[in-house]
Amino acid sequence: MGSVLALSSRPGHQNWPFSTDPPPSRWDRRDGRLPNPGSFHALHRSCKEVFPQQIEGVKMIVNKTLSSFFKVSHILHLSAVSPSYYRFHVEHLQSDDYSKDKDAPALIGEMDSTGSMNAHSLLHLTERVRARTVFQTQQSQFVTWQFETEYRGNDFTAAVTVANPDVLRESVILVAHFLQSVSSGLVLGGELVYHRGRAEEGGILTLAGQYSRPNWVATLNAGKGGAHASYYHRANKQIQVGVEFEASTRTQETTTSFGYQMELPEANMVFRGMINSRCIIGGVLEKRLSPLPATLIMGAFVNHRGDKLQVGLGINVG
Amino acid sequence: MGGENVQCWCVCVYLMYVENGQMGSVLAAASPSPDPQSAAAGGGMAVSGLMSVPPGFTMPPVSSVPPSADAGSALPNPGTYEECHRKCKEVFPLQMEGVRLVVNKGLSNHFQVSHTVTLSTVGDSGYRFGATYVGTKQTGPAESFPVMVGDMDNTGSLNAQVIHQLSTAVRSKVAIQTQQQKFVNWQCDVEFRGQNFTSAVTFGNPDVVVGSGIVVSHYLQSITPALALGGELVYHRRPGEEGTVTSLLGRYTGENYVATLTVGGAGAHATYYHKANDQLQVGVEFEASSRMQETLTSLGYQLDVPKANLIFKGTVDSNWVVGATLEKKLPPLPLTLALGAFLNHKKNKFQCGFGVTIG
Repeated sequence: MGSVLALSSRPGHQNWPFSTDPPPSRWDRRDGRLPNPGSFHALHRSCKEVFPQQIEGVKMIVNKTLSSFFKVSHILHLSAVSPSYYRFHVEHLQSDDYSKDKDAPALIGEMDSTGSMNAHSLLHLTERVRARTVFQTQQSQFVTWQFETEYRGNDFTAAVTVANPDVLRESVILVAHFLQSVSSGLVLGGELVYHRGRAEEGGILTLAGQYSRPNWVATLNAGKGGAHASYYHRANKQIQVGVEFEASTRTQETTTSFGYQMELPEANMVFRGMINSRCIIGGVLEKRLSPLPATLIMGAFVNHRGDKLQVGLGINVG
Repeated sequence: MGGENVQCWCVCVYLMYVENGQMGSVLAAASPSPDPQSAAAGGGMAVSGLMSVPPGFTMPPVSSVPPSADAGSALPNPGTYEECHRKCKEVFPLQMEGVRLVVNKGLSNHFQVSHTVTLSTVGDSGYRFGATYVGTKQTGPAESFPVMVGDMDNTGSLNAQVIHQLSTAVRSKVAIQTQQQKFVNWQCDVEFRGQNFTSAVTFGNPDVVVGSGIVVSHYLQSITPALALGGELVYHRRPGEEGTVTSLLGRYTGENYVATLTVGGAGAHATYYHKANDQLQVGVEFEASSRMQETLTSLGYQLDVPKANLIFKGTVDSNWVVGATLEKKLPPLPLTLALGAFLNHKKNKFQCGFGVTIG
């Protein structure tokens, strides 16, 4: 649903702040019961993680673990095209008995040098029910405030999200997700978005399906708003490949992307490359500098159509 | 008024081709002059920085000062005029932007070839091919002549230099620079090295048809083993106007420092270079230009960590510009990785780039 300020997250989990490892191992079950399909946001994630993230300018991240519950990051970004900023990021982990993944952070907050704030919180209310809230501000103005409740059954997940409810303007966006494990590899589900403003209201229904095997995962979302198909393949321990197709009826555009990730653990190196139907080619190299607890990131993206180049360097300490 | 304009133009052109990269040069601005410490390839070809080198090049070694004069009475040769400020300038990092890939290949002891691919965020991306040929006439342990250096751009711009030792004391150089098909610079110079002095004459852009040209003459004399004094006379001529610019140079070399001062009609330029220890070198530079009516003070330092195969250069400037470059060799591969970033606080502009050199 497009967040204004992308939340800084750990490397390897580029688009999702909360960790979900290990990924649901649908093919490990031997007792005949179908596994829980996970959350709706996670459907395309394995493919998206293969793609390199666009990096620009110089970014320095200093991570500090203050205690077993508390982690702090200082992020300094010097950029040629956008204003430079300093960002403070803090994570507090939950000590709840109900949390399945013990190190999933429960509270995440980020504050910018311009005053923009980003706050996420994840609460495990009971063993099966989770509540999540997101607040985002752009300087002093609230841009996003949303509340989500998710119920994880034995072989299904249902979630309801209320986004930007505004009593004064009489506007709200309601999203309902449902995912059901149909067989050991197949997950089917859907998403219903209802938005209401003062002058208009409407609903969009999207159907989703995911088929997974031990080495690959294929996902498809199709609805009136467009289609999104992704295919993720793990060739061997070192190479992962992802292909993604997006079509939008609103912007009347389609994009096909091909990405790959190559890991060389002996060289402490991860390389991600991608090529796009918009004539964008990019690559990002991450290298752990072994005696030091530091990671060096170098990346470049070239848009051949517009003949534009974006170069970025980053260093993560700690 | 007209005379002053011609003088400004001539001084500008002169400064462009004599001091490579200082105060803006036509083509050299596109890519920085090569790092004199860049890796040697086949046959000991490494830049030592005597001649102004076309961008993207490694030059074969041409020693600046011949082996120390026999004891006591004889004064050593002071080197060349252009080189006096060079030791300090080498300490400063060069501004990097975009991505650069350089592949150097030594084809034989005499021939070296380089391919450079530049992807730029602000300028044009391009490919450049360069070749260096070192002749067979050997005049010293690491010097051979003639030296021919040329490189060509993907747009057709050419840089070429031929350096030859005509006799034991006389060396000459011919250099040509074109911007696509138009000739921008063509110059010839002759240098004479005496026992304790050096003199050189350069003819720049001589054009008999139009009747214009620039003649530069340098003279540098060792007064004591540490002190060298010299002067430069620039005579420029265009149809209808002519003029001269003179400047004086003094250089004092201490045990681990070099201080140089140039004072002339175009302004003043003072540099101080200090070698603190094997790892740290510091340079301070002061430039005052009477034409642009401004002064600039820069501090630069270079940190060598040979154990980590690392060279770090940093600079702070009175224009509120802070910059740094990091060069790291990645053994066992013959790879060098260079990262650089410059930040102009006053204008709030930031530039970063990285490059990989293979071979």
